[in-house]
Amino acid sequence: MTMLKNYISIMRGAVLTALLLSSASLLGQTTATGVINGTLINKDGIALVFDTDPAGVTLGAAGTSAASANFGTVSAFGPLSAGVTRPSVTAANFTVRTIFDVQVIQGGLNSTGYTLAANLAAVAPIGFSYKVDAVTLTTVSQTIQTNGAYSTDVPHNLDLVVSTAAPGAGGPAVNTPITTTINFTATAN
Amino acid sequence: MSFNFSFGGTRALLMLSGLLSLFAAAGQAQTSSGQLTITMTVQSSITLIFQNNPAVGNTGFCPLTNAGTNNVGLDMGVAAFPGSFHTSTCVNYQHVGASFYQVSSAFDVVVSKSNSSSPNYRLAAEISTVPPVGVIWLINNVTLTTTGFTALDAADNYATPVTKTLQVQVRNNVPAQVLQETITFLATAN
Repeated sequence: MTMLKNYISIMRGAVLTALLLSSASLLGQTTATGVINGTLINKDGIALVFDTDPAGVTLGAAGTSAASANFGTVSAFGPLSAGVTRPSVTAANFTVRTIFDVQVIQGGLNSTGYTLAANLAAVAPIGFSYKVDAVTLTTVSQTIQTNGAYSTDVPHNLDLVVSTAAPGAGGPAVNTPITTTINFTATAN
Repeated sequence: MSFNFSFGGTRALLMLSGLLSLFAAAGQAQTSSGQLTITMTVQSSITLIFQNNPAVGNTGFCPLTNAGTNNVGLDMGVAAFPGSFHTSTCVNYQHVGASFYQVSSAFDVVVSKSNSSSPNYRLAAEISTVPPVGVIWLINNVTLTTTGFTALDAADNYATPVTKTLQVQVRNNVPAQVLQETITFLATAN
C-alpha cells in the first residue's frame, strides 16, 4: 500500500514537470503577422490604333496610333504598288485607293460604340484631295463613322484624288515624294 | 430676395461649384486620337487605246474586238487575188499593180496623258513576226518590220483620235494560208 502511494506521488511529479516544461517552450516562440492593403484605381478610357488591312498596303508602325501608309509611285496609267488600286481615271483626275483598319478599344465605359472623325493636319498639297470613306477631308474635323464597333478592325477606304494636270498648271509635283498627315479622333458614344 | 455673402453662403457656393465641376467631368466624352501619315510619289504617264472609227461598218472601217482598250483584234476575213474575192463586207479590197491585192481597214488611236507637260507624242509601230515572202503589212502606206519600231507620226495631239489604216498586201503567188500579225504601237511623249 505504501509502495502504491509512492508510485502515484512520483507519477504526479512527473506529469507536473512535463507541464511546466511544455509551458516554458510555448512562451519562447517568436511570431509576426502582417496585412496588405491593396488599392487599384481603375480608369475608363479608349484607345485608337491603325492596323494593316489584308487588302491594303502594309502600314508602317501598324498596331500603333501613329502609323504610316506608303502608296509608292502613283500615276493615272502606270503600274501601282501592291495594296493600291485605281478605282477611277477621268480626264480631270485619277483616284488611287488603299484600305486600312482602325481598331478602337474601350475599358470602363458604358459605351456601345464610337464616332470616328478625321481631318488633314495641314492644307492638302496642290493637285491632291484626300477622302476617307468618300468624305473629302479638310483641316476641319469631319465625321467618318458614327457607330464604330469596339475591339475589332474596321476597314476604311483611303482615296487620293490626284489631278491629271501638269505640274505648274494645277497638277501635283511629279517625281517628288509627297507626305500628308491625317488626324483621326475616336469619341465614345 | 437677398443674397447672403457671409462665410456660410460662400461655402455653399463653393460646394455647388465643386458639384457642378464633378458633373461636368462625368459628362465629358472619352476620346482617343491617332495619326496616319501618307506618302506617295506622282509620276507622269500616258496611255494608248484603239477605238472604232466613227465610220465603223462602212467599207474600209471594220469593227475592232475589245475596242477601247490597248489590246484589240481586227478580223479582215478571207480574200484572194482572182476575182477580187473577199468575204468581209467592211474591208477595202483593191488590186495594187498587176500582181498584188490589198485589204485594208482603218481605226483610231487615242493617246492620253496625265501629270505631264508634254505637248504631243510620236507614234511608231512594228510587227511581231517576219511575214511570208510576198506579204507586206503597212500602216498608212508605211511598211512595218520586225527589226524595230517604224515611225508613223512625229507630233500627234493627246486625247485626239488619230485615224490609222492597216493594210495587208499579198502577191498573187503566195500560197493559201492564214496571215496573222501582232502589231505593236508605241507612243512616246515629246
